[in-house]
Amino acid sequence: MTSIIKETQSIKEAVTFINAIDVNKFSRLISRIIQKLHLKGERTFSEEEEEKLQAALSLDKNALNLVLETSAFILEQAVYHNVKPASLQQQLEMVHLTPEKAEVFSQTWATTGPELVEKLKCNLFAPKKLEYVGWQLNLQMAQSSHARLKSPSAVLQLGLQGEDSEVQENVFVEFNHQQLLDLYNKVCFIMFRVCVRATFMPHHLRVFVPSIHVAFCTPSYFDLFKYLFQTSSPSLCHSFVHTFAPKTHHFPSFFQLEIVQGQLDSLT
Amino acid sequence: MSSSHSKDSLSFLGGRIPPEVESLSKNLKDVDQELFRKILKAVVSALEGKDCTEGMKSIAESSVIPQEKLCHIVAGIHRLLSEAIRIPTALLKQEIFKEDLKELRIPEDFITDFSSVVFGNHRAALEAAASQKDPHLPTLEELKWRVDVAISTSSLARALQPSVLMQMKLSDGRFQRFEVPVSKFQELRYNVALILKEMNDLEKRSILKIQN
Repeated sequence: MTSIIKETQSIKEAVTFINAIDVNKFSRLISRIIQKLHLKGERTFSEEEEEKLQAALSLDKNALNLVLETSAFILEQAVYHNVKPASLQQQLEMVHLTPEKAEVFSQTWATTGPELVEKLKCNLFAPKKLEYVGWQLNLQMAQSSHARLKSPSAVLQLGLQGEDSEVQENVFVEFNHQQLLDLYNKVCFIMFRVCVRATFMPHHLRVFVPSIHVAFCTPSYFDLFKYLFQTSSPSLCHSFVHTFAPKTHHFPSFFQLEIVQGQLDSLT
Repeated sequence: MSSSHSKDSLSFLGGRIPPEVESLSKNLKDVDQELFRKILKAVVSALEGKDCTEGMKSIAESSVIPQEKLCHIVAGIHRLLSEAIRIPTALLKQEIFKEDLKELRIPEDFITDFSSVVFGNHRAALEAAASQKDPHLPTLEELKWRVDVAISTSSLARALQPSVLMQMKLSDGRFQRFEVPVSKFQELRYNVALILKEMNDLEKRSILKIQN
């Protein structure tokens, strides 16, 4: 097992300081640090708070900085390697942290760790991210060039958030029925690719079935079957047929399935 | 069924006939079929959005008709055709259209030519060109996408998080490139399905209503 904390000089120094801190105070300190860990570039404590801490923990400015940075570093390493709490405790004791202090780290990690990992997983950077989806369905009655229309048109609002900006940029796109249908087909196909990628176990179709993702991913079971046949193993096709064919010969409208699934999702 | 049109009933042009159309019959008196067809062709290509300055120039130079009168004729034909194209064929039948033109005292041959433009193969192109000029929000021309799986990041050795990168080309020429996390993608998909369902319901209801 590789050690995630190497005993450098600064670690040794930090450990001496940490060991001297009262355990309750230290526990609160670590909780606060781990809460803010996913925010890049933000200070955990304001200047005022740091001054108060210096007094409360009887540390000078440099010592406090060392303690805060080292604690944050330990937690970051724990996140990066996704270590088990017990292993973290052991490793910290190996760099001569007292057992009670090591326990503080591993306890906090055990309770708040998984949540932090999830947050960081979603923290992928891109110039723009889709934050908001809104829409409006209109029935167009007439235009300058056309009288008596009655054609439905949908406007999709996509709220894009830039990396640096506070403001959300709104993109409005208009669709008629056919265009919307084309979009839906594309989106379904993408979803299917995402599902296949995400599991890394293409021969386990049963993994999909409980979440019913595959069923909703394509316009029809035939298309899905064709796709599986072209791109994956025969065993996958076999499982697929086995799973779906006996159940129904009448394929329900995929919209109906979609809506039901959406409603189920909102209930859980 | 004989047409019940009297001079006072509404034609496809509405209650008040535009002056350039009203005067069309008078202006077309000295125009022969060949010239009329040339003018008609130029107006049709203008309605399609094509540049017709060359065509119009040659007509103006080669004909004996004074320019002012020519302008009135072109205006009249342009207005007549635009108004006729506006109304869906389900509502404005060819016979009624011809009747209306007779009321305007347009010569018979010319009526046939007008009719062939409004009800012929060319109509779809004219309708499409006309709706381009109407106000509308950008539509989606092209959607390119990519599925990425982040294996590791600076904060996580093993992230294994899929995400979708989308590039939309809009009809106004703009490109929008953005990342969609999987949860948001689900939301997008759900919403699109919901709109489609509502559209289906809406269309079913519209069909049942009497089209007036």
